[in-house]
Order: sequence, then C-alpha cells, then structure tokens
Amino acid sequence: MKKNQEIKKSLAEILELPKDIVLDIPKITMVGNLQIYIENHKGIIEYTNNRIRISTKSGVLRILGKNLLLKNIVLEEIVIVGEIVQVEFTD
Amino acid sequence: MLILKLWNYIRGYVIIRIEGLALEKFINMCIARNIYLWDITRINYTTLEAKVGIRGFKAIRKLTRRAGCKVYISQKNGYPFWFSKMKKRKMLILGAFFSLTIVLILSSFILVIEVTGNQQVSKEEIVNALEESGLKIGVNKYFLNLREIENNLLINIQDLTWIGIELNGIHARIEVVEKIAPPPKLEKDVPCDVVAKKNGVIEKVIARSGDAVVEKGDIVSEGDLLITGIVEREAMENPLYLHAYGEVYARTYYEAHDTVELVKVRKEKTGERFTRRVIRIGDIELALSRGVNPYQVFILEKTSKKPIQWRNKGLPVEIITEEIYEAIEIEETVDIEQAKNQLHEMLVEKLLEEIPEEMEIFNSNSEYVIKNNILHGNVIIEVLEDIGEQKKLHIEED
Repeated sequence: MKKNQEIKKSLAEILELPKDIVLDIPKITMVGNLQIYIENHKGIIEYTNNRIRISTKSGVLRILGKNLLLKNIVLEEIVIVGEIVQVEFTD
Repeated sequence: MLILKLWNYIRGYVIIRIEGLALEKFINMCIARNIYLWDITRINYTTLEAKVGIRGFKAIRKLTRRAGCKVYISQKNGYPFWFSKMKKRKMLILGAFFSLTIVLILSSFILVIEVTGNQQVSKEEIVNALEESGLKIGVNKYFLNLREIENNLLINIQDLTWIGIELNGIHARIEVVEKIAPPPKLEKDVPCDVVAKKNGVIEKVIARSGDAVVEKGDIVSEGDLLITGIVEREAMENPLYLHAYGEVYARTYYEAHDTVELVKVRKEKTGERFTRRVIRIGDIELALSRGVNPYQVFILEKTSKKPIQWRNKGLPVEIITEEIYEAIEIEETVDIEQAKNQLHEMLVEKLLEEIPEEMEIFNSNSEYVIKNNILHGNVIIEVLEDIGEQKKLHIEED
C-alpha cells in the first residue's frame, strides 16, 4: 500500500497531473478566515460550533473557530463558514 | 447564491431538528445516501438544525431509526407548502381574484373629467359637447374612439383650435387650445381715422392716406386724432371721406416704481425651542401636547406627516409637528449701491415684460431717493412705437 502510494506520487509528478485526483487527497481552499472548502473528504467525525473534525486520506483535518456552520455538505465537498482560527492535520 | 435560494424556495424545503448522540454519523449517512443537507448548525450538544429538501426529508425518516436519533420539523418553507396551504383556503383565492377583477372592471370606466387650457370657453360647454360625442362620466373607456371625439368637438365648438384627450386610469384629461381672434380689421373701403392708442410725443408721421393733423413734437394722449380721413380742400364742396392709414411713430414712456427697505430685520434662532404636535382630522385640530408658545419672537417650522399618501389624495388625517424656535431680531443695514443695483434690475425686468419686443429703446432714466430708510426707485424707459390705430368714421349724413 505504501509502495503503491509512492509510485502514484512519482507518476503524478512526471505527468504533471493534479495530485489531489491521482492520490485521492483533500484539496482545501480558504477564503480569508471566513470560508473553507474541503474537496475529497471521507466523512465528518465531529461537529460542534467551535470544532469540526473531518476525516480525509491525509489524516484527520481539525478546524477550530467560532460560530462554525456547515453551509453545504455533499459526497465530494464540504463548505464551512464562520470565523476560522486554526486548521491542522492530526493523526 | 440568490438563484440557489430561489430554486430551493420553488422546490420547497424543511428546516429540521435532529436530536441524538451520534449526529456526525447521521450526517455521514446522509452524505452516503446522497441526501443534500445545507446550513447545518449546532444548537446544543444533542441537537442539530439543518435544511433539507422535501424528497430528502422522506429519505431521512427511514434513516433516523438506524442512526438512533429523532427528527422534528421546525419550519416548512417554499412554494409547495404555500400552495397546499392555499388549497385549503379556496375562498381567499376566490376573494383575491374577485377583488382584482372588480378593480380592473371599475378602472375601465371614466369617473373624472378634467378640462385644462380653456379661458373663454366655459368648462360646461366643453363637457356638454363631450357628452354629445359619447365621452361622459361612467362610460367605458375601451369603447371610445378618441380621435373621432376630438374631431367632433372641434367641429361643435368653433372657438377651439386643438383638443387633446388623454385617458389616465379613471381620469380623462382634456386639454384645449383656444383660438386667438385676429384684431378687427377694417375693410379697405370703409372710411376711417387713425387715432392714438397710447400717450406719447410724436416723432414721425407717415400718412399714406388721409391728412396728418399732428406734427413732430406734439404731445398726444390716448384717443387723440392723428390722421384724419375727412379731407377738405378749398376747391371742394363736400369733404372727401377716406380710408386713412399710415404709421405714426411716437416716443412713449414706460415707468415703473418700487421701494426697497434699507434696514432689514433678520430673525436669528437662539437655540431654545418648543415642540408641539397637532393631529388634524378633516378640519378638526387636536393638540397632542400641552403648552402654549412661550416666546415673543419666534420662528415657526411646520412639518406634516400624512399616513397614507397616494396620488395626492390620502386619508384626511395629518400629524403636524410645529417646531417653535425662540428668536431675536437683528437689524441690518443694506449697502446702498447694492440695493440700487438690485432695484434697478428688478424694475427693468418688470418694464421689459410690458414693452412689446420689437420696440426700439431710445433711452432710459432712473432716479433714486432715500426717505426714512426706504429706497425709492423710479425707472423710465423711452421707446419708439407705432401708436396708430384705425377707428371707423361715423359720418353724419346731411
């Protein structure tokens, strides 16, 4: 599995393919500290007003902030709005 | 995002409250089953609030048991819900439909006729003529041929040169232009005199027919004979009656007088004020606040509010707020030169309105006198003007 991942990564680099598609890892876009888009997620683990944890292929994504709101949630994408303070990957 | 909101409104959605312990699990299950949830907020530890479409909500019900939580509807939004609510209140829709049709039907009748532009011809005459042509109060405006009515009216009332009918809702606005009668002209073979129509000093007499009786320098007043149509010569037994005509130029004077006060009293607010509210219903005034005006010298500012205002006609109820400011009087002297200029300009403007346009202005004279702090101004403008006017001769038959 680990080896497979390595091959994919080098292949993506050689062919200049977008890594998020080849490796199936999340693509995260932020608009200031107001909005965050997470594409390619694997489901939501925890959701409260100040903390959201989302499972992804690169580990658990933890978002800390105030008045967090799940604006939109579909299979591929999550949109969170609110006052985002911290975004980090944890294992 | 407005389009998205609109789309959601048309499709209909419900705001649901989900209660349970494993709420994240519930959200994940929704995602896995392609149920679209949006605007998810956490109310407290065990409660979530989210929006979901109607079809999604039906699918959620099956899920709740498996996720171990309860779902309540807290609000229904959107067109389908509104529509089903309206279905139960058929009479309301019927009433709305009826009132709309009544408004539409009633607005197709003419209820007010307004006539503007008439000075000589009376309004009754025009209204009567309109009635004969078919335009009267209570007639349906869609059955009127306006152009035909306009033509009929022009034929029926001789004194009108143009008529325009405009229908504006229930108002019929009729604009008329009257004929301006040409000045009475005497036939070429009618014997007449030329007399003065104004006072003046004769400058030049050109008698094209008839004998001039005045010379340059003569002072004539209104009605004086200028060129006579009765020509008498020594050789003739009977005088000859002529149609006298010609131009008589005379200097005429236009005078205007006005005053300007040199000391002006200006009121200035001291900052103290007193507010009073009055409600007016029809002609009755009711004071809403107590107290009377406590100041000797004051400036009054009135503002009124009418609750419903529509096309200048509203309810006859008005709330008037009177702001009474205390004031002190300040006397100010005006600069004399400035006042003179102002007065002069004012007077000349006034005179130019009186003087016919094509006149040649000879000279103008102005005089200013100050008396008791009041500036008196007098402006005389001298113009050259044709003062001749033909007047029929009354010949006494011998």
